Amino acid sequence: MDEKLEKALAFSNYMITLHNQSKIFQEQYAQNSIYYTNGNQFTVTKELISFCDTMIRNDHIALILVDDNNIPVNVEDLKSFFKDILNVYFRATNRYLTEYSQIRKQRTVENLVNL
Amino acid sequence: MNKSAGILLFANNNEKIDYLKQAYFLAKKVKYYLNLPTTVVTDSVKYLKDQYRDADVVFDKIVEVSWSDENYFYKNYRDGTLTKIKLQFKNQLRSKAYDISPYNETLLLDTDIILCNNQYIQCFLQNNNFLIYHNTCDLSLFRKSNEFTYINDIGVKFYWATAVFFRKSKENKIFFNLLQHIQENWNHYRSIFQINQSYFRNDHAFSIAIHIMNGYTEGDFAKSMPGKLYYTTDKDICYDIKDEKITFLLEKEDYLGEYTLAVTNGLSIHVMNKFSLNRCIDMELQNV
Repeated sequence: MDEKLEKALAFSNYMITLHNQSKIFQEQYAQNSIYYTNGNQFTVTKELISFCDTMIRNDHIALILVDDNNIPVNVEDLKSFFKDILNVYFRATNRYLTEYSQIRKQRTVENLVNL
Repeated sequence: MNKSAGILLFANNNEKIDYLKQAYFLAKKVKYYLNLPTTVVTDSVKYLKDQYRDADVVFDKIVEVSWSDENYFYKNYRDGTLTKIKLQFKNQLRSKAYDISPYNETLLLDTDIILCNNQYIQCFLQNNNFLIYHNTCDLSLFRKSNEFTYINDIGVKFYWATAVFFRKSKENKIFFNLLQHIQENWNHYRSIFQINQSYFRNDHAFSIAIHIMNGYTEGDFAKSMPGKLYYTTDKDICYDIKDEKITFLLEKEDYLGEYTLAVTNGLSIHVMNKFSLNRCIDMELQNV
């Protein structure tokens, strides 16, 4: 096979693996961003964090939120809820950053999946 | 959490696939991540006990069932993109899960799930009586199939019987009775709901039963299991399992017989390639 073509195919293989692995990290991040409390499920988004923060700043101590299953939930201790979702957010984003930084440095398929 | 809570597995071997090996492996993972008891329903109790001396410890209960020649059929099993074999498929007991389960709160799982986190414990901590997956994610990201979104062209939602949580309740009793009725009259329902596959498939029966329970429309009877169900098909290969890290060879788009490497870490995965899963379990059990 022509050397140029061989190199291009190797690079294409690397790019497919990189793309796929990045998507898997995104999915892992999505899973890690879920906060479970009292049988309810909340996906921690920047919107949820900002909304809770705004409510706290407006002196609300409790809040009704709708969870991922469209169930209304009375969050009785808003400050504690806010603290918990922040923890989930930081843990998930830190892990995502660590994993993403690691694969960004790799230049071979084997290293991408850390074999 | 209810004191009577546990996992229910159906594991009936065929000529080539050892579902009991998967059940044994999964029950150990359940103990580790969820700390819950597991009941296995099988037609091969003697084989299980001969093969795994600690079976009575690993499993909370072992329920024996028998099969007659008429009540199983054949389907294709793949081992990657190039290998295909027709084997017995004994999947007709799932509709009896309600009566078989010794628990008030049951998480019914396929044996080909690799558990890598404790997410399923959330099923037992929430208030809904029936949970099932509709939202899923194929790890091989190029495959876009409607097969797992709707069961047919008229838009009945597809639900995965792979992982189902239920509590013993009046509504769920009605649901499982309906499921048995659908199974007994499968050809009728298959024709009404325009399902092309001739063999009985639990996913389709569950989807039809949920559709009926909802009043023949979309409704609230079934709520979502926690998170998403991640899966690889039998055209992909499970290459290695090391604790929470699983390595896959995923089918490559437009290149038959070629694969893309991928690794997951801490995600529970439904692995449809049973051959490769069993090879990995063999390696993992040897290392223990």
